[in-house]
Amino acid sequence: MTHEFELQVNGIAHPVDVDPSRSLLSVIRDEIGLTGTKEGCDDCECGACMVLLDGQPVNSCSYLAAQAEGRSVTTIEGIMNGDELAEIQKDMLDEGGVQCGFCTPGMIISATALFARNPDPTKDEIQIGLSGNLCRCTGYGRILEAMKHTAANRD
Amino acid sequence: MTIAETPRFVRADGPDKVTGSGRYTADMQLAGMLAAKFKFAEVAHARIVRLDISAARQIPGVLAVLTDDDVPDVRYSAGLADRTLFARDVVRYEGEVVAAVAATTKEAAQAAVDAIVVEYEPLPIVDDLEAATADGAVLVHPEWESYSASPGIPRDGNVASHSSVVRGDVVRGLSEADIVVTSRYVADGSHAAPIEPRAVVAQWEGDKVTIWSSTQVPFAARDGVCHTLGLPTNRVRVIVPHMGGGFGGKCGFHYEAHVAALARAARRPVKLVFTRREEFIAPDRRRESMIVDLTTGVKSDGTIVARRGHALLDNGAYTADSSFFPQLAVMHLAGPYVIPNVEIGAELVYTNHQPSGSVRAPTAPQATWARESHTDEVAAALGMDPVEFRLLNAVETGTVGPSGQTYDEIGLTDCIRKAVAASETAGPLADNEAVGVAVGWWPSIPAPSGAYVKIDGDGAGQIVTGAQECGTGSVMTLRQLAADELGMDPEEFQIVHQDTAVAPYDTGATGSQTLFNNGRAVIAAAGQIAEQLRELAADRLEASSADIVLSDGAAHVAGSPDRNVSIAKLARTASYCELLIGHGSGPPPSAPEISGATCAGDAGMAAWVAPQFSCHAARIRIDRDTGVVRVIRVDAVHDSGTIINPTGALGQVEGGVVMGIGQAISEGTVYGTDGRQRNPALLEYKLQTAADAPEIHTQFVEIFTPDAGPRGAKGIAEAPNVPTAAAIANAVTKLIGRPVSHLPMTPERVWEATR
Repeated sequence: MTHEFELQVNGIAHPVDVDPSRSLLSVIRDEIGLTGTKEGCDDCECGACMVLLDGQPVNSCSYLAAQAEGRSVTTIEGIMNGDELAEIQKDMLDEGGVQCGFCTPGMIISATALFARNPDPTKDEIQIGLSGNLCRCTGYGRILEAMKHTAANRD
Repeated sequence: MTIAETPRFVRADGPDKVTGSGRYTADMQLAGMLAAKFKFAEVAHARIVRLDISAARQIPGVLAVLTDDDVPDVRYSAGLADRTLFARDVVRYEGEVVAAVAATTKEAAQAAVDAIVVEYEPLPIVDDLEAATADGAVLVHPEWESYSASPGIPRDGNVASHSSVVRGDVVRGLSEADIVVTSRYVADGSHAAPIEPRAVVAQWEGDKVTIWSSTQVPFAARDGVCHTLGLPTNRVRVIVPHMGGGFGGKCGFHYEAHVAALARAARRPVKLVFTRREEFIAPDRRRESMIVDLTTGVKSDGTIVARRGHALLDNGAYTADSSFFPQLAVMHLAGPYVIPNVEIGAELVYTNHQPSGSVRAPTAPQATWARESHTDEVAAALGMDPVEFRLLNAVETGTVGPSGQTYDEIGLTDCIRKAVAASETAGPLADNEAVGVAVGWWPSIPAPSGAYVKIDGDGAGQIVTGAQECGTGSVMTLRQLAADELGMDPEEFQIVHQDTAVAPYDTGATGSQTLFNNGRAVIAAAGQIAEQLRELAADRLEASSADIVLSDGAAHVAGSPDRNVSIAKLARTASYCELLIGHGSGPPPSAPEISGATCAGDAGMAAWVAPQFSCHAARIRIDRDTGVVRVIRVDAVHDSGTIINPTGALGQVEGGVVMGIGQAISEGTVYGTDGRQRNPALLEYKLQTAADAPEIHTQFVEIFTPDAGPRGAKGIAEAPNVPTAAAIANAVTKLIGRPVSHLPMTPERVWEATR
């Protein structure tokens, strides 16, 4: 038996009708068609699938879509300010924080959540805040530079 | 030039990647597309007694189930054709593909896989490198006399490949030494572990197939499909969408033919996406485990006089691209030192483990860890500072290396001095802290490579290249090279790449070779257009073409900057006559000579074109109660020749260092006695996280290298992964008084070593 409900993603209500066992990740990617959210492990270890749920970061691979009913989901596609890149997105580009880009959406989601709860994080707080997002390309150095830059330029 | 002063490059593919709009292979959707799933062996060594797919075919939604019976009778692999697409009679590792299914949903495909019946008769597990090379060992490939192989591949028991270098007289050298030190080191295997699990999509149109694959080497993938399915190259098109990292793990031909065969059988497009567990157990690209024995003789003044060495490398069940690994291992056991008497050998040994293959600097991190740990042991036996010992024996410009190669301008001793000096600026060490130092070397790989460049009628540039972009930054650097050649802005160029039907050949993102070889091709192609532009401008400006200079988007007459015409105008002119099209490849640099050494099993790796050198100094902190090692700071200094794209080079070094830290302390495959991996998951196989990341201070020793890549550039992508684990090990040894002789140096192993 499927479950029919509305899923709010990036401010838009999407009617979905899916098996109750479906993960939020699979519904975002395969039903709604937003593929910026990535699957790296299906095991809550890599963070590539991270989205914001009412502003809190969750690994969407291990969260049921049905649990998100009545809540607000933000994916990487919802991070831009209108047509402008968000500061964190610009800083990731300017500081060389992007290589293959597969971890990047989850990384930016984590950073967005971090800055929302802690507008002026220390270096350690940034490192811990991003520790749920694995990156294999950069060694994290340029990503942390990007985050520091974003933090320093926040009001 | 410091990094802070260098121009910043923003990746052309960057906006796509930070907004989530970039499409990776797993993101693709085609009308009618099916999901693929594989039936893996799930046992390490067994004879297939019964394989029954009839129930699987009855599952609703299943459109194809394939086994060895359904594909041409072809063996494949580079160097030694020891494998087939699907298991035939015997399975030799747990991740071997026995059958493949395509169905309308992933769930139906999985149900079909579960319905496939395989009965096995167990065979003895070959998993010990020394036992596998002993007389009377069980053979992983008893019938391998019948396989085709490149010349020089031995067929000797379980030895899939071997190599040695002999120079001088090692017996005499050791007998004349004042001090002789012998060590044994054992390294576990490890994984490339890109964050994107591999994915393949195949779609047939008539007798042609288009394959989208997360491969680092689209041309090799294409050739693998052609070979195994019996197709000409112009009927197989391999395209790589955005790619989520490779690190060697996605080199080679993998599952493109399986998916193409499924799509042909089902008459529908098919998509395969690996789970993380599948990514761990199945591909033939694991970093090989290794047993290393080293004996070095030194004079009491610290001069190395002789080294004897031997390594056993775990090939796993099949030979991927690993035939040349023994020679690489030999070179790393010798190291970048002047050693007059050398006798070093290595064997690549078949086992029932996952096949090994090129993972970022194959053989180097483990062999370097062993050699550089041994180097510190020798220095300690001499009572000499290990840095001084290295400086005394390191190869320099004009010296002859251990394989008999004489080096041009090289910067190894500069790397050592700078790394040590930089690490000393970090302040005094606490009681539980130490700095370890290690050096490394790595070849640049000359290879054929091609590119086209065109300038359209509006003056916009397009590069069409066989080169790959798996995150490493060719999207930045190739545009820059073309723009510099034409006096244009890099932003004026777009790149079409990684499409085998459109672009000329390139080896792919492997061997740190993209800039080294494809850079040459792009410069040659752009150079042809530059010639055309000079001719056009000479006509228009009434000057000699030899006097035309291209800069700032215009053609000028040398010495008369007012006499100019924009490249856009020239391009418009050309659009009515001879079009602005350039093509290039250019001959790769040839291999240097070696003298006075005998190399058995030569795979062309005894003499290195434009060798890269490095020194890492790692500052670590240890918790003696738990054995936990924390890396606080790494000073990484690299001679990779001229640095063309500092942003990209820095990213390669930092990424390589952190991967090296993982190998040093947390990443290692654990095998059970059943020959199966015990930790094929990111919870148990620990990559380094942002919270673990140390401060990394990178410097480049930029020495112009003739006969290298563009502008004297060498490679850069693999070298940073070479000495980090060794530097960390030497710091650990300083703190606990003895080496941890097993890699990775997990808390348990460090703690044991302190007892």
